[in-house]
Amino acid sequence: MLAKRIIPCLDVKEGKVVKGVKFLNLQDVGDPPALASEYERQGADEIVFLDITASAESRKTMLHVVERTAERLFVPLTVGGGIRTREEMRNALNAGADKVSLNTVAVQQPHIISECAEDFGSQCVVVAIDAKRDGDSWRVYTHGGRKATDLDAVKWATRAQELGAGEILLTSMDADGTKDGYDIELTSSVADAVTIPVIASGGCGNLEHIYEVLSRTKAEAALAASIFHYGQHTVQEAKDYLRQRGVPVR
Amino acid sequence: MALKVHMADYGVGNLHSIRKALENCGAKVEVVTDMRGLLEAECIVLPGVGAFDKTLERLQPVREQLVDMLRSGTPCLGICIGMQILFEGSEEGKEPGLGFLSGRVVRLKAERVPHMGWNSVQSNDRLMRGVQSPYFYFAHSFHGSPREDVVVGTTDYFGRVPTLFKKSNTYGTQFHPEKSSASGMTFLRNFVRFAEEER
Repeated sequence: MLAKRIIPCLDVKEGKVVKGVKFLNLQDVGDPPALASEYERQGADEIVFLDITASAESRKTMLHVVERTAERLFVPLTVGGGIRTREEMRNALNAGADKVSLNTVAVQQPHIISECAEDFGSQCVVVAIDAKRDGDSWRVYTHGGRKATDLDAVKWATRAQELGAGEILLTSMDADGTKDGYDIELTSSVADAVTIPVIASGGCGNLEHIYEVLSRTKAEAALAASIFHYGQHTVQEAKDYLRQRGVPVR
Repeated sequence: MALKVHMADYGVGNLHSIRKALENCGAKVEVVTDMRGLLEAECIVLPGVGAFDKTLERLQPVREQLVDMLRSGTPCLGICIGMQILFEGSEEGKEPGLGFLSGRVVRLKAERVPHMGWNSVQSNDRLMRGVQSPYFYFAHSFHGSPREDVVVGTTDYFGRVPTLFKKSNTYGTQFHPEKSSASGMTFLRNFVRFAEEER
């Protein structure tokens, strides 16, 4: 039986992890490869690096980080943030990413989804969607949540799937940062509408939240940052909690 | 002498993890961009990155010699797409496959495709010896459907899917051992031992 996935996400800026991750057993707390390995040891099913810098120079730094990570990480690595062309995606994959997430560029030039899927295979093309409640539906935002679009999140997810996306990384902007739990309604709506896997993101404040989103929606994975980074819980604790409640985990 | 593995680089994708994983298992790894380099190999790894047609395009110049090598018993590990290209063809592409395995690659019949994430492999093959957790990492929309008796492991995903194949001294995995943490490392260590015996 396919296991539900737990995915820690690390924000990386100029080669360093930004949100201060606290592990007592690690010396260099800001080093992404070291943190990724620690999460693998804890039982993380996958790791996401989100590059939150914008300059071309820092993008090169990111590729070095990915390279160093891939040589010691033996679970899948997804890299996202600012990737705008097929060539940049190729560079990220060659550096050692297993999947690349596309966000703003996918909205601006949807054909890039198809091109990347054709060249590299659908399984490594993740479309990241930032969505915010707007009346009865959810509106898609780009540019790190700063710019509203005309797109409806559920329709856009379906369209991304048609174009060849292999997975949707769905972040609720309403829930993000609140620690009040994932946006169940949004996650359900998207995961019911598509047949590719959906990763729920935004709002995780405790283990109950992870259980809630994985048991009440068809999301296949839950992404979380702070509950793991600040040592509130290990990934292993999250797995044990889910297993006891009947959620299939590795 | 340590096993020397020739690994095909089709020009795209993460080869760092598989190379490092094989090195951790005691093998020496030579990454080959000119596919003719594979023809001198004592052991071949066809990694699991890319799309069906693009991968075959790269292997085109050596396809017949490569199949002869596999038939005569050169140890080989094909991972995901690197396994799928060993079949006669695929619903994913137009190019004819290498035809080392009889049968075709077909689209997964499942409610959610790609089959993405960790799923368990049922197998009694020697490469599974000592594997602590049966969970391995998958990321695929197609799977091999052989017309001969080569399946040595299966996985439940909306039905029983063949996920580990063996013919002659060639193994094919639908999962990614290099992305399957400790289980994958044990599997690869077993493969390296097997290849050392059979080279």
